Amino acid sequence: MSSEPTVLVAERYAYGATVAAVVIAGFWHVGYDLPMTIANYDVYAHPWAAVLAWLVELAVGAAAAADVLHSGSTHWAWPLAVPLLGVAGLMVLATPDATILQPAGWAWGSIGWVAVILFWQRPFWHLMVFQVLNAAVLGTSMGVLGISDHINVARAIMVLFGAVTMQLAFAFGAPGLHAAARWAARISAARAKATARRAAAEAVAAARAQRYQELHRSTSALLAELAGGADPADPDVRYRCLAGAARLRRLLAETDDVPDPLLHELRAGADVAERRGVVVSLAVVGTVPDLPVDLRRALTEAPIMALSTARGTARVTVVAGDGEVAIGVVADAPEVAITTRPGIRLTQDREGERLWLETVWQAAR
Amino acid sequence: MAGRPVTVAIIEDHPVVVDGVSHWIESDPLSRAVVVDSGDDVDAVLSGPGGEADVLLLDLHLGEVVVTDRVADLCGAGHRVVVYSGLEDPETILTVLEAGASAFLSKHEGRQHCVDTIVAVATDRPYVTPSVAGALLSDERAPQLSKRERTALLLWFQSMSKASVAKRMNLSEATVRQYIDRARVKYAKLGRPAPTKTALLARAIEDGLIRADEIGEYRSHAAPPD
Repeated sequence: MSSEPTVLVAERYAYGATVAAVVIAGFWHVGYDLPMTIANYDVYAHPWAAVLAWLVELAVGAAAAADVLHSGSTHWAWPLAVPLLGVAGLMVLATPDATILQPAGWAWGSIGWVAVILFWQRPFWHLMVFQVLNAAVLGTSMGVLGISDHINVARAIMVLFGAVTMQLAFAFGAPGLHAAARWAARISAARAKATARRAAAEAVAAARAQRYQELHRSTSALLAELAGGADPADPDVRYRCLAGAARLRRLLAETDDVPDPLLHELRAGADVAERRGVVVSLAVVGTVPDLPVDLRRALTEAPIMALSTARGTARVTVVAGDGEVAIGVVADAPEVAITTRPGIRLTQDREGERLWLETVWQAAR
Repeated sequence: MAGRPVTVAIIEDHPVVVDGVSHWIESDPLSRAVVVDSGDDVDAVLSGPGGEADVLLLDLHLGEVVVTDRVADLCGAGHRVVVYSGLEDPETILTVLEAGASAFLSKHEGRQHCVDTIVAVATDRPYVTPSVAGALLSDERAPQLSKRERTALLLWFQSMSKASVAKRMNLSEATVRQYIDRARVKYAKLGRPAPTKTALLARAIEDGLIRADEIGEYRSHAAPPD
């Protein structure tokens, strides 16, 4: 997955290089070969051979360009290389003398550019072999035509090297460009990943800081009072300690990643009560919907307070359904003195020793 | 109850539970019920005096075996069964009610509701324990409960007294009981017919809890007419 943008960018670069290769070959053939053919029409021994050579190269080039632009490489590289070498043969026919190395004999440098397209994305030696064959056709022709004197050999080397080195350099450089693109994309992907990781770390740190603030708010005053000599035997102090402990436990439970967070947080409250020897039963009916943490906190606040101050037994019920969640607690506990946020209904009743408390959340209809 | 007390047979594998339940029944100030037999094997109890008892109190866990599948046979044979179990998940409760059990008592409800349940069941009247109220609320196939019936069940499930539920709903206690019992009777219309269910429905009509045409409506789409 992570290499996907890398591949995408690299492919775009590769396509750019392909277009460049096609454009170079096209301009060369139309912008140089065509004017030379026309200008030297009278020079050729067989003008039709020169015209035919130009047309064959055009056809091969067009076929190769269409294929390479469409699928990234050519399917018929060597079958198409044969008529391309035929262009060289026709050139010998058209210029069977020293003019073979003059601008009239344009094919030696030109067919190499079409070959670059033809062998695009193939191992480099394919193009090398083609260039060697091209040079072999020229060399053999020069030998047969008897123009292999110093000057003409020097000229032939100039003609071949002038074009061939550029073509080889381009064909060799294109994969390098490809690799560079891949490399650049990989670096940018790595940077994006690092940014995301930093954002996540910052979010976690912020949540942690907020949680710390909440813990601080709920317990620091109490701890300060205790440190300042508050009497742990005082029922009010004890009550607040119990409630504080239950809240701390819930704050810890809130960050757990569990399928039923509301029940998990209630169980955390029940756990604290059970440790004090309270017999707690928890009965659940229906499937509790996913609620955001602030709603869960508002729903569980009063039940957890009641649980944390229960003396002997507590029954906790959760009923979910019809866009409603109701938490009920029946316990031998004092009434809970809290104000709930809007959207949460808190009802409390007392029957002798027993407190009956209910918090209800209803989905907006 | 006028006349003789209700006879009860307890099918339970833990002697301590048999003793506990017997004690609850014996300490009823009105002496409304009496235990006539007990044992840990269903067939053994049925072949003794338990076979003639008005009510069978059946623990679902007998030794290593869960006898949920026996409930339908027992009810089919005309026994009034009160299931008494520590398994109080809504599925178990609904399964035994559908099989024809007259009532369900979870173990923590025993002390408070045991005798009342037995007495109600002996006269084919509904008795809804809080655990059954929860199970009825949870059933998605449940017959359409009215808003009030739902609220009454929910508050009763939370387990305060019916007087408190009445206070919270601004109704009389008798009306709250009616809502809760109506919900239970509506449920008796579901599933396979059983003599106990028929008796419950008949008694509900007699007591004016539901109308006869409300049952007819159910028969037309829940069970083929015979």
